[in-house]
Amino acid sequence: MARLPMVPELLKQLFSRPATNAFPSRHLPPSVTGFLAKVASGEATIHPPVPTPPKFRGKIVYDREACIGCTLCLKVCPAHAIEFIPETKRIRIYITQCIFCSQCNDICPKDALHMSPDFLLATENRYAESQIVE
Amino acid sequence: MTPDIPFIIIGAVLVALFGIVIGLFLMGFDRIVAARMQARIGPPITQPFTDIRKLFAKENVVPENAIPWMFNLAPVLALASAIVILLYLPIGGFTPILSEGGDLILVMYLLTVPALALVAGGFASGSPYATVGAQREMVTMIAYEFPLAIVIIAIAWKLAAAGIALPFTLASIQANPIWGLVGPLGTIGLLILLVVLLIVTPAELSRIPFDTPEAETELAGGILVEYSGKNLALFSLTQGVKTVAMASLVVALFFPYSLAAFIGLAGISGAVIDILFFIALITLVAFVSVSVVRVSMARFRINQVVSVYWVYLAIAGLTGLLLVMADQIIGVI
Amino acid sequence: MSAEKTKKTVPYTVPIGPVHPALKEPVMFTFGMEGEIVRTVDFAPGQTHRGIEWMGMRRNPVQIVHLTDRVCGICGIVHSISFARAVEQIVGIEVPERADYIRTILHELERIQSHLLWAGVAAHELGFDSLFYLAWRVREESMDLIENLTGNRVNYGIIQVGGVRRDISDEQRPLIEKGLAYYEGLLDQMATLFLEDSTIRMRCRDHGFLSEDDARKLCTVGPSARASGLNMDVRQDYPYCAYGDLDVKAILPPAETGGPRGDVYDRIIVRLLEIGQSVGIIRQCLDAMPAGEILWEPKMAKLLAACKKADGEAIGRVEAPRGECMHYVRMAGKEAPESWKIKASTYSNLMSWIPMLQGEQLADIPIIVASIDPCLSCTDRVTVVRDGKPDILTKEDLTRLSREKTRRLMQ
Repeated sequence: MARLPMVPELLKQLFSRPATNAFPSRHLPPSVTGFLAKVASGEATIHPPVPTPPKFRGKIVYDREACIGCTLCLKVCPAHAIEFIPETKRIRIYITQCIFCSQCNDICPKDALHMSPDFLLATENRYAESQIVE
Repeated sequence: MTPDIPFIIIGAVLVALFGIVIGLFLMGFDRIVAARMQARIGPPITQPFTDIRKLFAKENVVPENAIPWMFNLAPVLALASAIVILLYLPIGGFTPILSEGGDLILVMYLLTVPALALVAGGFASGSPYATVGAQREMVTMIAYEFPLAIVIIAIAWKLAAAGIALPFTLASIQANPIWGLVGPLGTIGLLILLVVLLIVTPAELSRIPFDTPEAETELAGGILVEYSGKNLALFSLTQGVKTVAMASLVVALFFPYSLAAFIGLAGISGAVIDILFFIALITLVAFVSVSVVRVSMARFRINQVVSVYWVYLAIAGLTGLLLVMADQIIGVI
Repeated sequence: MSAEKTKKTVPYTVPIGPVHPALKEPVMFTFGMEGEIVRTVDFAPGQTHRGIEWMGMRRNPVQIVHLTDRVCGICGIVHSISFARAVEQIVGIEVPERADYIRTILHELERIQSHLLWAGVAAHELGFDSLFYLAWRVREESMDLIENLTGNRVNYGIIQVGGVRRDISDEQRPLIEKGLAYYEGLLDQMATLFLEDSTIRMRCRDHGFLSEDDARKLCTVGPSARASGLNMDVRQDYPYCAYGDLDVKAILPPAETGGPRGDVYDRIIVRLLEIGQSVGIIRQCLDAMPAGEILWEPKMAKLLAACKKADGEAIGRVEAPRGECMHYVRMAGKEAPESWKIKASTYSNLMSWIPMLQGEQLADIPIIVASIDPCLSCTDRVTVVRDGKPDILTKEDLTRLSREKTRRLMQ
């Protein structure tokens, strides 16, 4: 006799909540920034993003004041995402090239580099303001 | 009685619209229910309508190797023949529009026409995937015809044995619900036949586990692989209309009931109630024989499709037929 | 077999690839068909060469470790451990014991998620999408756990030459325990859903057959080899990390299920059982994990200096979820290695496709191709282009080229 052990599981799932993480908004808003502004002012609601765990490696944060321009981070960056600006003796990080390994965080002697939990970084312009940290 | 030509034309347009709208609704319903069974949210129920609208706006690409006239004719033929089937089936308790012109045997033959159009379109595409898909579609067609014929003959035989004139016409089937004519043994037989018909439905509609002609993972869409734009939209509509036709056939054969008559409503409100009841019934049939079946098993190989229909379902169908016959004989004695 | 020759001996050919829904990564198949039956099989890998070794030979070991994470999208840690072990042997680094245990835990968590991913893909290839969604849904638990332990879901970035970059804290232990309990509770259900389903059995039993003899001759590795009855597992045969201290035995299809037959069904059994085995290994690791350092040298500058001074060559071998994975590294007193060669597990398994696919039906191609869990982007180490056109290297060409390369390295 044919056995289909999936059937009871499927009927159970039919009456339980879907496991999908909902997209932040129900439909694609005409303007994403406009939608986010509405969310901020409380006019619209957003499906909350899935929380990131502690010590998640998101977009890099650079403490310009603490940096001493030693360029050690350039030596270990696997993606060559960090550029040294000799005039200011500070670095510039290109997020589109960064691979989020946080190796520069480990080697920084002044603890000037950190990883934030931001992960919604997609944009159409790789030189947009949000894609360069300096 | 000569058929009233304007009535037939208006009726045919209405039935075509009904078939297309309800067909797309059934497709949307199937997608959302299947998604929920798979613990997904799924698309909104209007998704197939959106898809069709978009497909009609898209470019219609005819491949270089294709035979253009056949390639373009196949989708039109498929949709037209699928709609014609509906004209012979009773919808919502109404007498079929073309009831004088044909009976169940005709419906059985008409059911193969959209599939044949698909095959023609597949062979005309000039792609190896479509060719393999078309060959498989033919084999599938041959495979499911036999159990389908058994079911139809069993019911017609029962009606004839019960002394009803013209047992193959849908009007007599509609007028004499089959369950009322049989004893306990026949009920078991009819239940088996119902299951057989419900399993023939997914093959007729090319859905998993019998979607070997389209087999996304190996044939990348098989027969439909070269179709795009308007032609693909027509095939999608055909799929929807065929779903309605198959579900209507199941309802017509096994559940020809009228809710309005049961609760004693007549006139317009009765007709509306009956249409809604009919839609609910075909949705239920589509849920059982399309959605549940397609999410709960893996795709068969083509030789397995044939053995399922010719061996297992043929045996089941014949058993059902014999039970119905035995019931009749016991009843007479 | 060349394309013209194939055409003469079989009625028609069906191309599958380089991009096709049956394939999750690019590879080009040409099947000689007779009706629905596959008569001849030819395939051409090299459709997705990325030049990752070339990149590595211009970077220092600390940078390469993060590159190795990206060799494979699924078994990243395998390549990191393999590379790190090769460099550690050259430099003479002794990895702290705790780091070895943490590496083992992550290695096994990765195996769990990789096998579940495979189970989902296999179900999808069979046209059983519900099971695919279910497998990938339960896989999320291991992905979340890995994300918690390492800071990222896919590119973990936790391995460092000489140890690991993050410790497992006491707060994280209950999370791991919870994850393990989740999978223990799930194993029976997964076994029922995959192994007792009639439609899966119909499609997989006695299809994609690979005999023990063929498996040995074609150097098949990993679950594909074990399903054919070869008792081999790097974790058992050449223990690395903490495996020497643990009880690890290669898993063969048990006799109760009809014992090694070497078909697709056996490959499903082996992988499902290995999920349970991984859970057990992580349990053992958590119990036996000693306290202590996690890095041989926490100061990266010192580590880089030590690597720069090193001279020598070594091979790092690990048992990836798909089979044995190997990294050859040669350092010669420079920042960047002089040579770096990756042998991903799929490389050894590709040739077993040919005996598996011959005589099967067209409908079985997707599941048989998927049954070795191919990982082609990791495997493709070379693409031959001559005069702007793809070209083929014969066996003689390859022998000559490898001899030339060995001589170059020997100088």
